[in-house]
Amino acid sequence: MSFPVAFLIMLVFLLFGIALAAILDGVIYRRIAGRPGIPVLMPFYRAAAHLSRQRIETEAPDRLNWFLAIGGYIAVGAVGLAVVPLGPESAVIGIKTSVVLWGACEALVVVLVFLHGWSPNSPLALIGAYRYVAIGLPIMLLSMFVLIAAALPAQSLDLREIVISQEDIWNVIRQPLGLPLFLLLGLSLTLRGPFDYADSTDLAGGTAAEDSGAYRAGWQVARLTMLVGFSAVAATAFLGGYLGPVLPGPVWLALKTLVVMVLVIGLSHLLARMPVARMLGLIWKVLLPIAFVDLLLAGLVALA
Amino acid sequence: MGMNWLAHLAARAEVPVFLAEGEAAPAEYAHLLARMPALRMVDTPRAAAILLVVGTVPKALLPQLHRLHDQLPHPRATILWQSRNDLSGAKRIDSAEDIGTAIKTLHSDLLAGNVESEPDILPDAPPNEWRGVGPHGQGGKGMMGGTPYGRPMAMTAADLRDGLELDTYTADFGPFLPMFPPGLVLKLTLQGDVIQTVAVTHPPFETTEDRGWVLLDLLGLPALAQRKLRGDATGKGSFDRLARLTAARAAIPDGLGRTHDGSDVRARFDHLMSRRDSALNLHLHHTGLDDLLVGLEWHEAMLVLNSFDTASLRTICGNTPEPETDDDADGEDDKKEGGMDHGAHAGHM
Repeated sequence: MSFPVAFLIMLVFLLFGIALAAILDGVIYRRIAGRPGIPVLMPFYRAAAHLSRQRIETEAPDRLNWFLAIGGYIAVGAVGLAVVPLGPESAVIGIKTSVVLWGACEALVVVLVFLHGWSPNSPLALIGAYRYVAIGLPIMLLSMFVLIAAALPAQSLDLREIVISQEDIWNVIRQPLGLPLFLLLGLSLTLRGPFDYADSTDLAGGTAAEDSGAYRAGWQVARLTMLVGFSAVAATAFLGGYLGPVLPGPVWLALKTLVVMVLVIGLSHLLARMPVARMLGLIWKVLLPIAFVDLLLAGLVALA
Repeated sequence: MGMNWLAHLAARAEVPVFLAEGEAAPAEYAHLLARMPALRMVDTPRAAAILLVVGTVPKALLPQLHRLHDQLPHPRATILWQSRNDLSGAKRIDSAEDIGTAIKTLHSDLLAGNVESEPDILPDAPPNEWRGVGPHGQGGKGMMGGTPYGRPMAMTAADLRDGLELDTYTADFGPFLPMFPPGLVLKLTLQGDVIQTVAVTHPPFETTEDRGWVLLDLLGLPALAQRKLRGDATGKGSFDRLARLTAARAAIPDGLGRTHDGSDVRARFDHLMSRRDSALNLHLHHTGLDDLLVGLEWHEAMLVLNSFDTASLRTICGNTPEPETDDDADGEDDKKEGGMDHGAHAGHM
């Protein structure tokens, strides 16, 4: 598959993914809230409503970083999607270290969310920013353990090789601890539910408390872009990516991405968020050791 | 004036409403609003098109209401629901049946340009003048300290937990923050998100509203909170099953917000989720907000505040000692200005 074709497919994938994620979020929210109706077009109406309102500047904001935080968050989500292979030799960013590039995107999310909270010069937004960094560090470590474990059977940091290594058995079966732990990272990267320490209700919206108009719409799109990017990476690293019978590879990838997306959105509405100190204890004392066991088991299997 | 295509699409969205709750608000107003599909309550005025003042905001809190009003982006409008307040350009509604339609119509008219967006009430200028004393107009001590624009600059102080020196930040929070009981204004000193000192500037209004749904919202479960708020329409059995599935109770630290009679946030959460009509019989004679909140992180503190019914919280506020008066002139200035010092920050609301 040539680069322009792969690029075009991924662009369509991203745009459809963002729209679908927004619709699914609305549907699952309404089901749990006990409200009737399937709000297919509501996300588009909401986006139009945001765009038709004024963008307010706070007193003495960091204008450049406010813009960069939103633009950068969209960019790293899109890069996440771009490293995902559509076939044996076709990825928009086809490099041998694509897992490392994705890891860099994860780390950059922490920086960008911090900047988003820093820029408006507002205390609740800043608390959200600092809190996210506190959670971001251990959750990135967890992600690295899990991703290295997923890379071990392929003996490569190239997502294309990782997919090929799953031709016989998917990583979700070979390493059953991997995907559940990685989904927790997804909740953190997309600022959702139990891991939404940046934009939560207790801070009146946290880092997004001061966003209005186009910036508010932009931040929501950025979160959804990251959700699409993350879901595609998870589907590739643990569910065999484009592998599957009868249907073309990109269709399999889209279906598996959709499954991961539904899981992340569902978990975000169905798991309670604990206070940050309690969550830090859980990550450092329970989740990180489990992630290390996942890595250890993958290493022992690779040696055997 | 005709609508453009963007306004046409925007008019079909749920109307984002920011609630400012006053005294003597209509009974069960939060439940009524939750059952109106055309409305969506938002956490911050920056996301709202309509400011809905429910009940009457007392005179002492009017400056905060005016600041809140000016924080909404244009085009914006205000609706006063069973309120004796007076805001220029605001529409008055008294009947609960009319409120949903009135908000929806006003939103469409705003987008179409049939109704003018409300102008600012306050001048777009810092509420206090620059008070820097240094050679470059900076604060008080070298490049640090002072009260520029009436806002004390962050200065370091020992952290309560480990004694490390950290910046402290003092400001008034409330009375319209959605995660605060309505009417409550607290002067908090924070280090990061840890509360170092607390003083009550204004106690919460007397209401009988059940804050159980707010606790669920604070626990990151807005959909379940909405289900609780919508009440009997959805059935209790399914609500209880979902609440158990979310592990909401386990997410609350054991012993958090324990009063002298031994009840903690978990116990009060259980009571609120059980939908029993009787209030918990709490003995709060010696419990003040300083006992409950000092040393807690922000999220924990919000869980504690919303776990009490309003009558109990008013008692606790009454038990909270007055803050020690600051010796320096900066602190005195800050007090006199009664919270005007942080007016530009939406987060304080």
